[in-house]
Amino acid sequence: MKLTIFNGSPRGKGSNTKILMDHFCKGFDAAAAEVNTAENNLKVNVAYLVHTDKMEEFMELFEESDKIILAFPLYTDCIPGIVKFFIEQLEPLCGRENNPDMGFVVQSGFPEAVHSRAVEKYLEKLTGRLGCKYLGTVIKGGVEGIQVQPPRMTQKLFGSFYRLGFHFGKTGAFDETIVRELVKWERLPGWALVLFRLLALTGIANMYWNTQLKKNDAFDRRSSKPYQGLF
Amino acid sequence: MRITLLNGTPADARYKNFELFVEKLAIYLDKDRHTVTNLKLRNMDIKYCTGCFGCWVKNPGECLIADDSRTVRREAINCDLLVFASPIIMGFTSAILKKTMDKMIPLVHPYIEIVEKECHHRKRYDKYPSVGLILDKPTDNRADDEDIAITRRIFERLSLNLRSTLRLVAFDQTPIEEVINEINHI
Repeated sequence: MKLTIFNGSPRGKGSNTKILMDHFCKGFDAAAAEVNTAENNLKVNVAYLVHTDKMEEFMELFEESDKIILAFPLYTDCIPGIVKFFIEQLEPLCGRENNPDMGFVVQSGFPEAVHSRAVEKYLEKLTGRLGCKYLGTVIKGGVEGIQVQPPRMTQKLFGSFYRLGFHFGKTGAFDETIVRELVKWERLPGWALVLFRLLALTGIANMYWNTQLKKNDAFDRRSSKPYQGLF
Repeated sequence: MRITLLNGTPADARYKNFELFVEKLAIYLDKDRHTVTNLKLRNMDIKYCTGCFGCWVKNPGECLIADDSRTVRREAINCDLLVFASPIIMGFTSAILKKTMDKMIPLVHPYIEIVEKECHHRKRYDKYPSVGLILDKPTDNRADDEDIAITRRIFERLSLNLRSTLRLVAFDQTPIEEVINEINHI
């Protein structure tokens, strides 16, 4: 099985999407080490869609893969512009014989999965349009902070992506139990809404942004309205 | 009413009729009682969002990249009706329009608050425009009703993120007077 992961983050190699998919790949490679034989060769490739000048190369990769995972951060509750650009390049491949199976990973800063459900419908329809078998969509919220969080906070998340990759290597599919666990919250439960409002009052809820604003000497300008009343 | 039209039609003969419809609509609305700013996005220099969040934490409210998206944001936040127009390509509006949508995030604040029991970004400005969407209804199987429903849903979400409401969904097959009438009732 040849798997290609298309990383659709505009941050490319500096992305949270890469961090998550690196753990997925480690799991995938561990599965490969167990099952690889002459006739059963598991291989994973990663391509970064931020390189919008490499579309021909990406199309070739798409055509020669058995499985595709398109992983990206949620942008305006949808795919980022670079991912739409990539998808438009695939138009000539619609209905081609032997198109690869296709699955998706959508990560976002929002804690709830509800933000990602509209684009999930789009992605499923896309696979039908291309004539690819749909492998499902992994939705993971609350990701934005992972680069500043201590390891004890990210350990479980990274472990889940490792196991997701391991299972994918063994079976060529996402493990549905892990996919369900990763969702955690479809919508915030009542107690979390109350807690969030309290944290917002104390300023703790916005600590992540305030730290960065202060570091950049921009805290006092955080609410500036550069376009207010320009007409 | 002040109307800003974001025309995301790519330069492709397949979408010529759609573009003619959008251009005609802009002219008719302007002749009516509205002030229309018609931005043809493919002729503008709009770079992809890089996800740097500089517009939230370095230069709050403004993208660090000095491209034509500054014009888009200025026109978008100061109008009463913001209309997104694009043919449906691979099930959704064009990449040209999508990259422009991505560049709207400087218009909101990084802080999160609860809206309709969901997390959303806080308003940066006092007032946001109503949102409209104009799509094509292709006759060549390029898009079906499900594509339209999915696209509409994503724009409802975008409107909620812009702390606004999707008030208009129209198609290039609709008689232009009907679209204008609908806009006049917003």
